Amino acid sequence: MALTGLEIFKQLPKTNCKDCGHPTCLAFAMALASGKTSLDKCPHISEEAKETLGAASAPPIALVKVGTGDSVVELGDETELFRHDKRFYHPTAIAVLVEDTENIADRVAEINDLNFDRVGLHYEIDMVALQCVSGNVDTFKAAAEQVAANTNKAMVLICEDVAVMEAAATAVADRKPLLYAATNDNYEAMTALAQKLECPLAVKGNGLDNLAELVDKITKLGYKELVLDSGNRETSQVLADLTQIRRLAVRKRFRTFGYPAMTFTSKDDPHEEVVQASVYVAKYAGLVVVKASKKEEILPLLTWRQNLYTDPQKPIQVEAKAVAIGDVTPDSPVYITTNFSLTYYIVEGEVESSKIPAYIVPVNTDGISVLTAWAAGKLTGEAIAKALEENDMESKVNHKTLVLPGYVAVLSGSTEEATGWKVLVGPREAAGITKFARENFA
Amino acid sequence: MAFSAMKEKYSSQVHTVVLGATKEEGGTRDYTITVGGEGALPFLHFEGEVPHRPVVALEVWDVVPEWHESLAPYFGDVYNDPAAWAKKCVMEYNADLVVLRLKGADPDVADASPEDCAKVVKDVLAAVGCPLIVLGCGNPEKDSKVLPAVAEATSGEKLLIGVADQENYKSITAACIVHNHNIIAGSPIDINICKQLNILITEMNLPADRIVIDPTTAALGYGLEYGYSIMERARIGALQGDKMLAMPIICNVGHEVWRSKEANASSEDYPAWGDQANRSILWEATTAAALLQAGANILIMRHPKALALVKQNIEELMVPTSFDD
Amino acid sequence: MDKVTVLFTPDNVAVQVEPGTSLLQAAGLAGISLVSSCGGDGTCGRCLVKVEDGHVRVAETGNLSKKAKQSGLVLACQSFVESNVVIGIPSMSRLTEHQVLLDENQLMEEDIGTDEGFFFRPLCRVVELTLSPPTLAENVADWERLQTALRNVIDCSDIRISLPVLRRLPELLRTDDWRVTVIVAQMNDCAEVVDIAAGHVQKELNLYGLAIDIGTTTVAINLIDLKSGLPVGQKGSYNRQASFGDDVISRIIHASEASGGLPELQSAVISTINDLVAELLQLSNIDAHDVRMVTVAGNTTMTHLFLGLSPKYIRLEPYIPLAASTPAVRASELGLNINPAAYVVCFPSVASYVGGDIVAGTLVTNLAQEERIILLIDIGTNGEMVLGNKDWLVTAACSAGPAFEGGGITFGMRAMKGAIDKIKVDPATFDVQVSTVGRCKAQGICGSGLINCLATLRAVGIIDRTGKLQTDLSTPRLRQGDDGWEFVLVYGNDTAHGRDIVITEHDIKNLMRAKAAVYAGIRSMLQAVQLTEDMIDCVLIAGGFGNCLNIRDAITIGLLPDLPTEKYRFIGNSSLKGARLALISQQAWQEAQLLGSKMTYLELSAGNEFMDEFMSALFLPHTDMTRFPSVTNLK
Repeated sequence: MALTGLEIFKQLPKTNCKDCGHPTCLAFAMALASGKTSLDKCPHISEEAKETLGAASAPPIALVKVGTGDSVVELGDETELFRHDKRFYHPTAIAVLVEDTENIADRVAEINDLNFDRVGLHYEIDMVALQCVSGNVDTFKAAAEQVAANTNKAMVLICEDVAVMEAAATAVADRKPLLYAATNDNYEAMTALAQKLECPLAVKGNGLDNLAELVDKITKLGYKELVLDSGNRETSQVLADLTQIRRLAVRKRFRTFGYPAMTFTSKDDPHEEVVQASVYVAKYAGLVVVKASKKEEILPLLTWRQNLYTDPQKPIQVEAKAVAIGDVTPDSPVYITTNFSLTYYIVEGEVESSKIPAYIVPVNTDGISVLTAWAAGKLTGEAIAKALEENDMESKVNHKTLVLPGYVAVLSGSTEEATGWKVLVGPREAAGITKFARENFA
Repeated sequence: MAFSAMKEKYSSQVHTVVLGATKEEGGTRDYTITVGGEGALPFLHFEGEVPHRPVVALEVWDVVPEWHESLAPYFGDVYNDPAAWAKKCVMEYNADLVVLRLKGADPDVADASPEDCAKVVKDVLAAVGCPLIVLGCGNPEKDSKVLPAVAEATSGEKLLIGVADQENYKSITAACIVHNHNIIAGSPIDINICKQLNILITEMNLPADRIVIDPTTAALGYGLEYGYSIMERARIGALQGDKMLAMPIICNVGHEVWRSKEANASSEDYPAWGDQANRSILWEATTAAALLQAGANILIMRHPKALALVKQNIEELMVPTSFDD
Repeated sequence: MDKVTVLFTPDNVAVQVEPGTSLLQAAGLAGISLVSSCGGDGTCGRCLVKVEDGHVRVAETGNLSKKAKQSGLVLACQSFVESNVVIGIPSMSRLTEHQVLLDENQLMEEDIGTDEGFFFRPLCRVVELTLSPPTLAENVADWERLQTALRNVIDCSDIRISLPVLRRLPELLRTDDWRVTVIVAQMNDCAEVVDIAAGHVQKELNLYGLAIDIGTTTVAINLIDLKSGLPVGQKGSYNRQASFGDDVISRIIHASEASGGLPELQSAVISTINDLVAELLQLSNIDAHDVRMVTVAGNTTMTHLFLGLSPKYIRLEPYIPLAASTPAVRASELGLNINPAAYVVCFPSVASYVGGDIVAGTLVTNLAQEERIILLIDIGTNGEMVLGNKDWLVTAACSAGPAFEGGGITFGMRAMKGAIDKIKVDPATFDVQVSTVGRCKAQGICGSGLINCLATLRAVGIIDRTGKLQTDLSTPRLRQGDDGWEFVLVYGNDTAHGRDIVITEHDIKNLMRAKAAVYAGIRSMLQAVQLTEDMIDCVLIAGGFGNCLNIRDAITIGLLPDLPTEKYRFIGNSSLKGARLALISQQAWQEAQLLGSKMTYLELSAGNEFMDEFMSALFLPHTDMTRFPSVTNLK
């Protein structure tokens, strides 16, 4: 179980020497408890404390890397069950399945093309999963080489026949593919192969109990670059399995399951597949292998992944872009607020219900509210001037009057000076906007 | 045993809410629908009961909607007949229930009178046998006139009426108490306001098992994760015994998704995003699937194909799971 | 242009000013302090004066109501003199003498072991010495001889002396056969001989010190006899910086943005102190020359401004003060009218928003020696708090705002005469009875009155749990005012100024925010160390409320955690007490230096936790009502 800041503090020297870069030992202990620093930053810690604290602060889930260079995919190293508790770190990798009997070059080209730009973000498919359906050593090897030749993306090689796997894996070993999979029947040879090639190894169980046994056997052989697959494929069972693996690793520090988990979609209809995969993205899969490969199928899945892995600790911000509410004209009033989403949406709601079309200009205050932003010097006359300029408000309206939130009426002078606009001091609470707008702009 | 499953011990469960009333119960519905009651996180059957599957509703408007053309083949023929539209949703597209959105009441749309609105609701009730959800036009002032009138005209039907917010909850709550309906308590992506509104409503003496919460959920790609996390927190709170967070959750999926660029942008304009028709269906279905994982109990959908996908997903997720102790 | 005359009534004080001078400035020159929360920006609407004769140019009328304008009221900061004028100053616009918290009656030894364990050894003291006379064989120089003798007494190796004193040394030593009396200032590891007299004259010599608490709103001073450690007198008044804004942020902005702002603020506080000291000295007939040591406790911004250090970066992310600990300076360097060579030392700060006042409070409450877990809260504008015991201390500031001090509240005021401190509302008729400080006609509402008001209005259902006025209730006391809905507490014919005293929905929202910030601060701090409320053994309340705060009311509105009331203690002005303790105990002063570095500061603005706690506290008593069982069980 994770230790609290105070529990860690008790084991520290308590000298407040600042050598770790923190002002006090307690500050260091709290940073340690929340994973923001590491134990080795304290040069004065006792061996005994190092031992007890070291075990407690080790990551619950190992980080496993697949692929090389810029295309390396990092799996695992998660610390939470719920993103609101801190955040999720390593987005679920999505691999598209290709069979070794297909036209590899075409399929890989299609997968390479699965990259998207939306709202200033770039998404793409992480991996190509090559499945051996031919059962033929040469076919699979040639296909693997072809995949490698046609894409930089990380690879998964899917074949339980070690001899067939060995030829293909050896051929592309320098790309560090994930070898899928060690099973009850082949684990000794498959593990030896992964060990020899230094490639990450997937472990496929027959249910969680069997998976746990298998993982223990493999780690006894001395290999720990593992990715876990319970072997189940029914949606609700996979959800249960992925949940257990994550929970036991994070809450119970169950080392056997302290590795990233993976699964496959089982649906044939690509739409159903996407829906199924989005369940696994939500609940703890480190890697999902899908067959769907059309743009419209992959974009929603990658978008969902992107949403889920954003950092919830950051204040929710809206884009600092002027928004026209209603049918604005050049005569419409201009309201100033901040880009803290809560503040912005309250203002937006009130401006909307005032029924008087207007522009709202959210000033970029790093997502903090009006008064806080004023106090921290982030909502200033200059910041307002910059926002007006960036949004080209002078050309959008034919007047030069802005409405300043009543709480920062003190900024009137500096705002008029910096912007050259006349300031109309608005109400302090957004709730007063309707009354204010009717009195001033109706 | 190489591993033993970790099962959370929860002290409580989500409230159950019964939608609709049959003749014997004082209404006219053919059947009722019960939502909520789960004693585990979404679909984790191995550690608690999930007695009632989440349900999916299709949207019906009282005025002709300006929806994307790709929806016209499904509803175009009934856009101007809410009753026929509702029937189609249930009979043809297998919606578990129908949501009637009284858009026409909006002073900026048709400014329909409370009486006219009540009539549409009665028409729809007459056309279908399923329980009904009635949503106002979104103008709080107007809704606080329209929704009580609807509540009165349909007394005893146990509709699910909304959306009540901090500004107008009093009149809608009072009407729901008197006329035996359920209420939707809406809050703006804020777990505290969500809970506060539940306290305020229950303190007016509407029982907690007649409240469904709408925590406000954005579409995929538009801040879906914020609502997702709030729902997860509410569910964990409910299971740990917080009665004022334990209401079933309703999510306005179709409405949000069909405002997004990804659902609407044409294949020609955005070839890099793939086919619009399929993209929009998946945008809606993926949003819904994500929300199911956060604990949604009622999903309001728009596209029949998205609805079908989500129903399929729910069916698969309702398959019991267990781990040996 | 010729100067013009401004005559202020009812004071009958006239000043000559250049035309174009604002009435606010003119009043200042006349020695009249006006209320000006916004610092002269024309936005707070508080510096109302009446033009009784003559003409002024009015630049802005701000949010003045029509009625006020018609009655000839103008904003002093926005009105400029053009000719000879007569200006009337209403009492409500005046910064008046008020109950500045001085201490004494609250918390002493029995409560928390104040002063316990610290030796009486003032930072400046009188020592009688008898030196062995020099001989041909023992020919050490005079100064070194004195040092040797002193070292035996004061346990300090680094002993210094100033040149003027050194020059007088040889004659003084020999006047009374190598018997002398020296005055030694000693701080940390360094001592200085600040004066010498011939002979053993300890009895005749006078030695005094000042302990000063510089608050954002008020300044309080204790004059201490350093020979006995006993207080001679005490005084308090408004901090004159108040004319530049109510809160530290406004002051920081004034200091860093207005030209000459920093020296202006520094001299405002120095003159506040000088006036108080002059009164104290006069009353007790003490010579300013005999005041030779000063300890100062103030928040970080106040300490900066007192020393003339720029507070600019305190306000800007990542909120860095210029200095946490500051050097000892001479009184003459600051312009304090005491012995020019007197040393002035300030308590160290912990962070930008946790200052020396909190360190002083922590010192005097012996928090860092306690086995028990103690929470110390200063419910002021900054809302600082300290949690911990002998092993660890965490501290934070929750920026509650000035609402509990009456700031930002329509009829808010400090707890002085005429302040409503309690109300009673008839649940059937909604009629209101009020009690006021000094039992006189009501003038406004003080912090404890506001808290009581919130609790009472909620109890009778005039506001709901979100603080909204229930406008559907039928009582004429609920009405639409200039600032939205309001509730009349006292009608004009029963008030001191003839105007209706109301509490507006806006006031209530401000109070809700202030109480939410304090409670959220406490919760965030507890969460940082993963403790629960019930693990707090004792809560110490310092600051503006004094004993007036009703703990039950504070719990009822969710300002303070729902703990048994016997766990709460009022400790009054702990900052001033800490300053006095350090003045008379070197050990305490050293401890204060250590304390500053021992406290772990939590930046509440980092992360979402505080915001989340804050939002859930914006409810009466709290969104999670199970945290307030004693409140919710009443129903």
